[in-house]
Amino acid sequence: MGLKKPMAVTLIGWALLGGLQPALADEEDNQDRAARWKQLQESLFPHRQVLDAGGIITVDAPPRALDAALVPVELHIAANKPVKSVYLVIDDNPAPMAAHFVFGPKADPRDLKLRVRVNAYTNIHAIAETQDGQLHAATKFVKAAGGCSAPAGPDDNAALADIGRMKLRLLGDFNAGKPMQAQLMIRHPNFNGMQMNQITRYFTPARFIRTIDATYDGGQVFHLDADISLSTDPVITFGFVPHAKGQMKVVAQDSSNATFDHSFDVPGTPAG
Amino acid sequence: MRSIVRAAFVAAVALVAAVTLASAVTAPAEPEGFWNGPVNAPVPHTIKGGKLVHTQALAALLKRKNAVVIDVSNAPHRPENLPASTTWLPLPHRAIPGAVWIPGAGLGEPPPNLDEYFRERLAKATGNDLGKPLVLYCHQQCWLSWNGAKRAIQYGYRNVYWYPEGIEGWRKAKLPTTVVQPEGAP
Repeated sequence: MGLKKPMAVTLIGWALLGGLQPALADEEDNQDRAARWKQLQESLFPHRQVLDAGGIITVDAPPRALDAALVPVELHIAANKPVKSVYLVIDDNPAPMAAHFVFGPKADPRDLKLRVRVNAYTNIHAIAETQDGQLHAATKFVKAAGGCSAPAGPDDNAALADIGRMKLRLLGDFNAGKPMQAQLMIRHPNFNGMQMNQITRYFTPARFIRTIDATYDGGQVFHLDADISLSTDPVITFGFVPHAKGQMKVVAQDSSNATFDHSFDVPGTPAG
Repeated sequence: MRSIVRAAFVAAVALVAAVTLASAVTAPAEPEGFWNGPVNAPVPHTIKGGKLVHTQALAALLKRKNAVVIDVSNAPHRPENLPASTTWLPLPHRAIPGAVWIPGAGLGEPPPNLDEYFRERLAKATGNDLGKPLVLYCHQQCWLSWNGAKRAIQYGYRNVYWYPEGIEGWRKAKLPTTVVQPEGAP
């Protein structure tokens, strides 16, 4: 009896989402997606085997994104096996490798959040690389389209103002020796080279953050290799383990070889 | 239980019908010239000087007549200054079999050399026959094909078909596709 209402609601939702059309067309899509993932494994991880998630990693994103240029993605790593790095692949983006985080001794790799551009309905893969070199992939299907050509802002000059400005927000309470989360925000247009200037009708040249290094009192938290799929004004939420009060240093370099750096006090003054 | 499900089903069908009807009412009128607004937006239900064609009729048309099919979907623009470390691997582009893919030919204001390329490519594909059936498409709710069809009509083609359901409509009907490479002005 308790099933009635949810079923009816689901049915209406399903009908509204186009479920009344034949579902068979999905088969070809599924075949294409499997072929794409095979192609990506071969080109991004040549001669390596990509295993199932095996409970080591999960990836989460809204199934239907509100803004394809700002799709929030969360990666969760189980603490059951040491992980040295994580890759984020957006299968159907033309440059599919979005990010590669390499964790340092000061990292708490369990939870990572970032925002990406998504070009088409696509699978997103998060691949954990364990200390013994194995790759474990988790996947999530995301409905969003057009994120790659969406402009960085109303105009390019506005998007470039304050480039490199950083903020670090500490989440939760500081306890020496205990893991905590921090949210890093970097002002950067992250032009991906696929956006047309609305006035000149020329493509804005690519200019995006390629690397970010975060260190805590000289010990590496993470090194990130990023590519054109990170959203404008990147926001990255990550975990670290502060042994004592100290300084988080962040150095970012973009594809025009501009370097931006900033140091933040931890625990720091409220609301940096 | 069953009656509730059925009632829900009827309600859902009614809702879908209402939504469809509402979208039919809100379909925009044809602009005077080419459309320069957002590419992915509701499209009109008409094209002056041309004909709309829907999925099954298009499949039949392609069987019956030797029509020229042009896909004017955008291709992902490979940034000129992409670092060597970036893996650039666009998805294979699926098209209606036999289609010629000319990205940009449906822009409101294509670069002049692309306009010229489009004109010459159509002339070649039709064997300079302005009466030859031409089909233009891109995606669902995509103005590029409307613009492309309008452009072909302006070139003087008399049998221009616009297929607004696009490749999504084609694939939904389980019709065959092939992978094609883009063509364009050098």
